[in-house]
Amino acid sequence: MSFAGLLLAATLLTPLLMVAACVLPRFRARVFDLLALAPLPGLATALLAPGGSLVLAPSPLRIVLALDFPGAMLLGGSALLWTTAGFYARSYMPEQAGRAGFSIWWLLTLAGSFGVFVVADMTSFYLMFSLVSLAAYGLVVEEGSARAERAGFFYMVLALLGEAFLLFGFVLMATAGPAGNPLISEAVAALPASPWRDATIVLLILGFGLKMGLVPLHVWMPLAHPVAPMPASAALSGIVVKAGVIGLIRFLPFGQPLAEWGTVLIALGLFTAYYAVAVGITQQHPKTVLAYSTVSQMGFVAGVIGAGLAIGDAGAPLLAAYYALHHMLVKGALFLGVGVAAATGTGRQRLVMIVMGVMALSLAGLPFTSGALAKFAAKGPLGDGLAGTLATLSAVGSALLMLHFLRLLAGASKAAPDATAPIGLRLPWLATALASILVGWALFAPATGYAPSLPLAPDKLWAALWPILAGGALAAALIRWGARLPQIPEGDVVVLAERCAPAVLAIGSGAEALDRALRQWPVAGIALLAIVLAFAGALGVSR
Amino acid sequence: MSGVSLIGIGAAALVGIGLYGVLMHRSGLRRVLAFNLVGAGVFLMFGIAGKRGAAVGLPGDPVPQALVITGIVVAFAATALAVALLTRLADLRTKPAPMTSNDTPPPSEAP
Amino acid sequence: MADAANATSAGGILLVFAVVVPVIGMLALLMLRLLGLSRAAPVALVAIAGGTAVAFATAYLVIGTQSALVYVVGGWAPPLGLALRADGLSAVMMAMAAVIICGIALYARPQFDAPDEAPEGRRAFAFWALLLGLWSALNLVLVGEDLFNLFVALELLTFAAVPLVCLDGRAETLEAALRYLVFALVGSVLYLLGTAILYGQYGTLDIGLIHDVARPDLPTHAAVALMIGGLMAKAALFPLHLWLPPAHAGAPAPASAVLSALVVKAPFFIILRLWFDVLPGPSAIVAANLLALLGAAAILVCSVVALRQERLKLMIAYSTVAQIGYLFLMFPLTVVPGVPPWETIGWTGGALQLISHAFAKAAMFLAAGLIYEALGHDRMDDLAGAGRAVPVSLFAFGLAGLSLMGLPPSGGFIAKLLLLNAATLAGAWWIAIVISIGGLLAAGYVTRVLKRAMAAPAAAIHTQPVARSRELAALFLALCAVALGLVPLQPFGLFAIGRSVMP
Repeated sequence: MSFAGLLLAATLLTPLLMVAACVLPRFRARVFDLLALAPLPGLATALLAPGGSLVLAPSPLRIVLALDFPGAMLLGGSALLWTTAGFYARSYMPEQAGRAGFSIWWLLTLAGSFGVFVVADMTSFYLMFSLVSLAAYGLVVEEGSARAERAGFFYMVLALLGEAFLLFGFVLMATAGPAGNPLISEAVAALPASPWRDATIVLLILGFGLKMGLVPLHVWMPLAHPVAPMPASAALSGIVVKAGVIGLIRFLPFGQPLAEWGTVLIALGLFTAYYAVAVGITQQHPKTVLAYSTVSQMGFVAGVIGAGLAIGDAGAPLLAAYYALHHMLVKGALFLGVGVAAATGTGRQRLVMIVMGVMALSLAGLPFTSGALAKFAAKGPLGDGLAGTLATLSAVGSALLMLHFLRLLAGASKAAPDATAPIGLRLPWLATALASILVGWALFAPATGYAPSLPLAPDKLWAALWPILAGGALAAALIRWGARLPQIPEGDVVVLAERCAPAVLAIGSGAEALDRALRQWPVAGIALLAIVLAFAGALGVSR
Repeated sequence: MSGVSLIGIGAAALVGIGLYGVLMHRSGLRRVLAFNLVGAGVFLMFGIAGKRGAAVGLPGDPVPQALVITGIVVAFAATALAVALLTRLADLRTKPAPMTSNDTPPPSEAP
Repeated sequence: MADAANATSAGGILLVFAVVVPVIGMLALLMLRLLGLSRAAPVALVAIAGGTAVAFATAYLVIGTQSALVYVVGGWAPPLGLALRADGLSAVMMAMAAVIICGIALYARPQFDAPDEAPEGRRAFAFWALLLGLWSALNLVLVGEDLFNLFVALELLTFAAVPLVCLDGRAETLEAALRYLVFALVGSVLYLLGTAILYGQYGTLDIGLIHDVARPDLPTHAAVALMIGGLMAKAALFPLHLWLPPAHAGAPAPASAVLSALVVKAPFFIILRLWFDVLPGPSAIVAANLLALLGAAAILVCSVVALRQERLKLMIAYSTVAQIGYLFLMFPLTVVPGVPPWETIGWTGGALQLISHAFAKAAMFLAAGLIYEALGHDRMDDLAGAGRAVPVSLFAFGLAGLSLMGLPPSGGFIAKLLLLNAATLAGAWWIAIVISIGGLLAAGYVTRVLKRAMAAPAAAIHTQPVARSRELAALFLALCAVALGLVPLQPFGLFAIGRSVMP
C-alpha cells in the first residue's frame, strides 16, 4: 500500500473508527473534545496525495478510493472547515449529556462528506452519499425544538427522495454500462451511448440538484440550516451541500457537448440564483438569509456546470469545484461569524462587522477576495451570451442579499454592550475567514490556468466592483421600501406542500380503510377464489 | 351418466358447498366442519384419479388411495387442532376473570 | 432428469438428517418430559446445534460440488417412491434457516427456560417442541420433490406455527391462531385440489417427472392456478393477508420472528417450484404480471398501513406483508428471452430479497420484543426512552431497518439494486417505481420508530433490564442482514446451482 493510499484510507477510517470507539464509555465522554482532530488525515491527504488511489477491496466488491484535483480541492477545503468548526463547537456547545450523540452524528457526516470526494466506484459513492445525507439529519434536529423537528422532517423526506432518484439513476447507468460495480468514470463514459441517457441525466440532476438546493427542491435548506447549532450550520451549508456539486461533477458526461441538458441546467441554476435572492431579502433572521444565499450560490454553480455540459468543456468541472471551494470556506466563516457577532456587544462590533462584511461581499465577488477570483474563473464556461450576462448580474443580487444579511447581523447581538466573544469562537472563525482568501489565491493558478495578476487588472477590478455598488444602491432601496415586501415564510413553497397534508393523510386513511375491508373474512375468501380464477385465465391467455 | 361423472359432480358439489360454508359462516365450528366438506370433495377427486389409472388397464391405481389416507390423517389433525383452539377459546369466554389467562397453559397437545 | 432423480448422490443422506434431526430432538423432549427428567431448553439447543451442522454440511456439499444433492427414499425411485433434492437455492435457504433458528434459540433460551414442574414449564416445553417440529417441516419443504409430500410438509409447518401464535393462551391470540389456521386450511385444500387434478392428468406428482411431460392445457393451468392461489393464501400475499397481522403481532417475539422470517417463505418457495419447474411452456407473462401486480399492491397499501400503526409489533407485521410483495415482483423480471430464468438478474434479486428479508425481519421482531419487555408495552407514542434502556436492541432494529429500506450496505440494498436493474432491462418501469416508493415508505416507518425510541422520555420511565445475550442475538441476525450486502453478485452462481437439469 502506497503512502498516498494509506492517507486515503486514513481519511475515511479516522472518523469512522472514532465512531466505533464510542462504544467505550471513557472515549465517549471525551469524543466531543476530539472532533477537531478527526478531519486532520483528510487535510493531509488533500495536501500530499492528489492523484493517489487505493483499491480497498478487489473485484467483485471493488471499493476504490482515488483523489483527483477537484476532489482534492473540496476535500482540503472541507477538512479545513471541519477542523475549525470542530474547535468552534468546543466553545459554542454547552456542557450537556447529548454531546456524545451530537459527536457521533458529526463524525458520520464528516466521514460521508469526505467519502463522496474520494471514492471512485459507483456503489461506494452511493454509500457515502447516503451516509452524509442521512447522518446530517442528526445535526439538523440536534436542538430538539418543534422548529427543528419540522425542519428535520422535511430534510429527511427530501433526502430520501433524492436517494431514490439517485439509486434509480445509478441503476440505469450500471445497466447500460460495464457489469459489476464499475468505476464512476467507466459508467460515465458509457452514458452518452446509453439507451436511457436522458432519463439518467434527469434523475442525476434531480438527485444531486436536491442536495444542492436547486428550486423547487431547495425547500429543506432554509428550514434545516438555520436550526442546527452554529458549527453544524457551517458544516451543513458549507460542506454537505457540496456532495451535490461533486456528484454533478463526477457523474455528468463532460466529454462531448450535450446542449439541451446543459441549457436546462443553466436555466435551472440561474433561476435558482435569482429566486433565492428574491425570497432571501424578505427574511428577517440572519441564518435564514445565509441559507437562501447558499441556495443562490449553488444555483450559480449549477449554471457553471450546465455551461460546461452544454459546450462539452472538460475544464468546467474544475472551475465549478474551485467556486464550490470558495463558497465552502466563505459560507463556513459567515455562519461561524453569526455566532461570534451574537456574543459580541454592540460596542465592540466594529472589527467583527468588518471581517463579516468582507466575507459577505466575497460572495458577491468583492475584489481581492476569493469570490472575485471564483467569479472571474467562472466567466470562462459561461461566456458572454445571455447566460454570462445573467450570471454577472446575479452578483448584484448576491450583493443585495449580503448587505441585507449584514444589516440583520448588526441588530442581532444580544450580548452586553462591552462583551466580547470567547477566543474559542473568534479564533476558528478568523482562521476560516483568512483561509478562504489564502486558499483562493493559492489555488487560483493551478485550478483555472489564469495568471494571478489577471484579475488585478483595473478593468477586471471594476467589473468585480460595479455589481457590488449596484447591489448597495438596491440595498438602500430595500431599507427605504423593504417594509412593503410580502413576508415569505422560511422555506417558501414548503408551506404550499404543507397545505397538501390533509390530502396525504386522506391517502393514509384510504389505505387503512381498504385494508380493513379486505381483512373481512368473506371478502378475503372471495378474493382468493377470484385470484385463482383470474390466474387460471391469465395462464391460459399467455400460452 | 357414468359412475365417474357422478362422483365428479358429487366432488364438485362438496367442494362448492364446503367453500361457501368456510367463507360465509361466522361460527368457527361451522367453518371447520365446512373445511372438512371441502376435504371430502377433494378426496373424491383423488378417487377419480385412481379410477383413471384403472381405465388404462390396471386393476386400480393404489397411489391415490395412499394419498387419500394421508390426506384424511392430515385433515383429522387439522380439525383436532382447530377444535382444541375453539374449546380453549370457549373456556376463556365463559370464564368470568380474564386476568387468569396468563396461567392457562397453551394448547400444546395438537402437534 | 429421471436419471438424476433416480440416483442418490454422495452425501444425499444429509437431506434425510436435515428433516429427521429436529424430529429426534422433539421426540427426545417428549421422552424426557414423560420421564420427568429435564428442562426442555438444553435438549432443544443440542438438537438445534445438530440440525445446524447438517444444514451447513448440505450447503457446503452443494456449493463445493456445484450440483444438487439428491436422496431417493428407500431406493424407490419416483414415480412410485419419493425423492429429496437440494439445489443451490434450497441449500442456501437451509443454511439461512439454521442461522436464524440459532439466533432465535439463543434469544429464547432465557425466556423459555422454566423447569418442567414450574407453571411456565409447559409453555417452555411447547415452544421448543414446536420450534423443532417447525424446522423439520421447513427443511422438508425445501428438499421435497413430490407435490403431495410438499403438501404434508406444509401442513406440518402450519400445525407447528399455529400453536406458536397462541403460546400465551390469551383470547385474542387464540382467535388470531384460529383465523390463521382456518384460512391456511382453505389454502391447503385448494392446493390439494390442484394436486388431485395434476395426478389425474399425469399419474405422478414428482416435480421433475411432471416437468418433462407437462402440457399447457386447461386442466394443468387450472391445477397450477388452484395450487398457487392456495399457497398465496398461506404466504399472506395481499389481499389475502387477513390472518397475518394479528397472528404475527400477537405471538411472543421469538415466535413472531420465526413466523415472519421463515414460515411465510415456505409457501413462496413452493410457488417458485410450481412456477419455474411445473408450469409447462414458455413463461406466461400475463400471469407473471398478475402476480407482480398483487405484489405491488401489497407494497404500496401495506407500507402505508404500516406507517400508521400505533403498535410496534403490528407495524412490523404489516411490513412483512409489504415485503412479501417484493418477492412476487420477481416473476415478470425473470422472463428474459434466451436466458434461463434462474440466470436472470430478477431471479437473483428475488432470492436475495427473500433471504435478506428473513434475516432483517427476524432481527427486527427480536429487537421489538426486547423493547416491549424493557418498556412493558409497544405503543408507538410512548417509545421514548427505549434508546437508553436497550441501546443494542435499538441498534439492531436500525440495522435491520437499513436492509428493509434498501440502503447500503445491506442485503436488502443489493436485492433492490438487482430488482431495479432487472426491471430496467425488462422495461417494466412501473415495477421500478413501485420498488422506489416502497423503499421510501419503509424508510418512513423505520425512522418513525427510531426517532421516537431515541427521544428522551418526558417523564422518568420505569424500565425492566433485559439479558445482554438476547440483545446480542438480535444484533447478530441484523448484522447477517447487513453482511449480505458485502457479498455482492456472489449469489449469482449460487442460486443457479442444480437448476440447469430443469431446462
